[in-house]
Amino acid sequence: MEEPILKVEGIKKRYGKKEILRGTSLSIRRGELKILIGPSGAGKSTLLQCINFLVRPDAGRVWLEGKEIHHAQGRELHHYRQQVGMIFQDFNLFDHLTALRNVEIALVKVRRMSRNEAHDRAMAELERVGLGDHVQKYPAQLSGGQKQRVSIARALAMDPKVMLLDEPTSALDPELIGEVLAVIRDLGELGMTMLMATHQIAFAQALANEIVFMEDGLIVEAGPPEKIFGCAENERTREFCSKVMELYTDNR
Amino acid sequence: MPESLLAVLDALPYLLEGSFITLVVVLGAMGFGFCLAVPLAVAQVYGPRWLRPLVALYVWFFRGIPLLVFLFLFYFGLCTALDINLSAFTVAVVVLGLISAAYQSQIFRGAIMSLPEGQLKAARALGMSDAKAILFIILPQALRLSIPGWSNEYSIILKDSAVTYALGVAEIMARTHFVATRTYQHMPLYAAAGAIFLVLTWLGIRGLRYLEEKVRIPGYSHHEF
Amino acid sequence: MRKPWHLAAVAVLCFFLLSPADAAEKVYINGIDANFPPFAYVDKKGVPDGFDIKALDWIAKDQGFKVKHQPQDWDSIVPSLLARKIDIVASGMSITDARKKQVNFSTPYWKIKQVLVAKKDARLTVEQALAAGNRIGVQRGTTEAKWIDENLIRKKGLKFQLVQYDSAPMAIEDVLNGRIAAAAMDDAPAMDAVSKKKAVKILGTFGMPDELFGYAVRKEDTAFLNRINAGLTKLMKTPYWKELVKTYINKK
Repeated sequence: MEEPILKVEGIKKRYGKKEILRGTSLSIRRGELKILIGPSGAGKSTLLQCINFLVRPDAGRVWLEGKEIHHAQGRELHHYRQQVGMIFQDFNLFDHLTALRNVEIALVKVRRMSRNEAHDRAMAELERVGLGDHVQKYPAQLSGGQKQRVSIARALAMDPKVMLLDEPTSALDPELIGEVLAVIRDLGELGMTMLMATHQIAFAQALANEIVFMEDGLIVEAGPPEKIFGCAENERTREFCSKVMELYTDNR
Repeated sequence: MPESLLAVLDALPYLLEGSFITLVVVLGAMGFGFCLAVPLAVAQVYGPRWLRPLVALYVWFFRGIPLLVFLFLFYFGLCTALDINLSAFTVAVVVLGLISAAYQSQIFRGAIMSLPEGQLKAARALGMSDAKAILFIILPQALRLSIPGWSNEYSIILKDSAVTYALGVAEIMARTHFVATRTYQHMPLYAAAGAIFLVLTWLGIRGLRYLEEKVRIPGYSHHEF
Repeated sequence: MRKPWHLAAVAVLCFFLLSPADAAEKVYINGIDANFPPFAYVDKKGVPDGFDIKALDWIAKDQGFKVKHQPQDWDSIVPSLLARKIDIVASGMSITDARKKQVNFSTPYWKIKQVLVAKKDARLTVEQALAAGNRIGVQRGTTEAKWIDENLIRKKGLKFQLVQYDSAPMAIEDVLNGRIAAAAMDDAPAMDAVSKKKAVKILGTFGMPDELFGYAVRKEDTAFLNRINAGLTKLMKTPYWKELVKTYINKK
């Protein structure tokens, strides 16, 4: 079996007395779309942020392409984060920069590309997510769906090996969800490796290679969609799935 | 023409020269204060744990002692003790700048802390070091938000600068005083000085408002600040 | 958006360019109380003028050194001299034992009486002016301020209240406002005030011994003091000296 591109083992995180992650492990293979589901407070978002050390895990190890990441070291950490794209629930576009500059800035300041090179690359990524006509707009002039697509373009421009998506559509009005999911679907088809937390059950059912159900800081069950949504072994998984299926199928 | 008006008209070119000196002192102090305040604010928000109380100490110290006391301490005390002969003008700029740095750092600190946490997270997620994230993402936004506070600070330093006449800086106040004692037209001359200060305040605030408009982020509402 | 910081940089630069004194040739700085007409003040164009200014200019020319007159706060004029901010005080300074402990004086060049100045229409004698409950104005940091406090108030036990001002003209302003009954000062500035403001008069002396004016220099600058003395002695024998006295002090 192929070596996983990203592997995490025994991730623990607590805030005060509350244990958010209780030794979570998972791995993802190249080209895979793995989807994290679970009730809010299960630790999905914390897990994703622990993977690229935006949140410092209390314990646990992380490997990218078989190489362990020692997150204490600055330069290695910055280099690692360039290879792991992150998409946030509330976009986190840089408010003072145009869509184009949002995508360019890390290319220039981190990857040390020339302005021209960065410009061409940023334009290409923005066109790829369907925003070629909006590059000069500032975040405040864009819709939520457009913002999230800019943020995807911004992450893609860094040529990430893996993308982490933290509920990319939760902050969007229902009519804008489709355009963002379409972009993510296209990425999957192009072979991008993705780990995504979402409540979009239909999307997960249709496209995920594997569904991971999390609850209370632990992975309860993992498996292909038809198994998790059809005949999950764990009773909690079944309960959760039937509940969200009811909730989300009609207002897709 | 009444004697009082004549005295003011006579003195006007001399007083206006003084307002140029006042402006250079104020802008110099604000510039110097700015250069200090930005690292201070960044250190107080993002700095190592041991550094933060030191910044707070600096702010407490320079906000807590009257300007005149500092001017004298610096001009007569420190300069003599260190055997450096700084001009009254230089001391005025440095002391006003040090004090302004304390106030400006708190303006910047407030602005930095009002930014959503996600801005720093997103910058880090792209592989930026904290230094780059602060320089390219946090500060450009925080400084924009600081302009209203800055215009407040400008009018305060402008008025504070009048105190530097105690060291013999030939700014508006000192000059008004000199002319008044020669001509015995105190009332009209101090009224003229007051008017000059009002005009300078107005000009500065207008200038900063223009700047604020100029660097405003399109579509971004500032009303919450 | 970079503009404001450029502006600040220019301001900072200006201040560094403007501040350092040109060290090519030693220019002696004369610290003056520009609020002390007719001995020292600034004229309409803002140029220092007055009896002491003109006298020192002559001495400097005669002795071949350069001098610049710089207005200072009188309160701190001796500290300024000791701190080397200025090199000489030629600004109507009375020679006193206390000051002699800190600085050296040139040979005396002017004898001065201390007088009380009151409103022109006031029916007051010196004794009545100094009566209990009255307020008497004086310039802070002057010999008369010290003498009145030590002799009239402490020793003689007079019950008037001493009010301290930044300058003698400000005290005169308050005489006119009626806030104080009279102001104590040197006779020369008092006469200057009378000549400029019709509404005040000199009541007379109040018992303070006559004083002598001299130029003050630092104790270690003996060579400089010798040059000053040589120039001053020479000047006082010239007709120019009489002319100065006529122009500035005895105007009538």
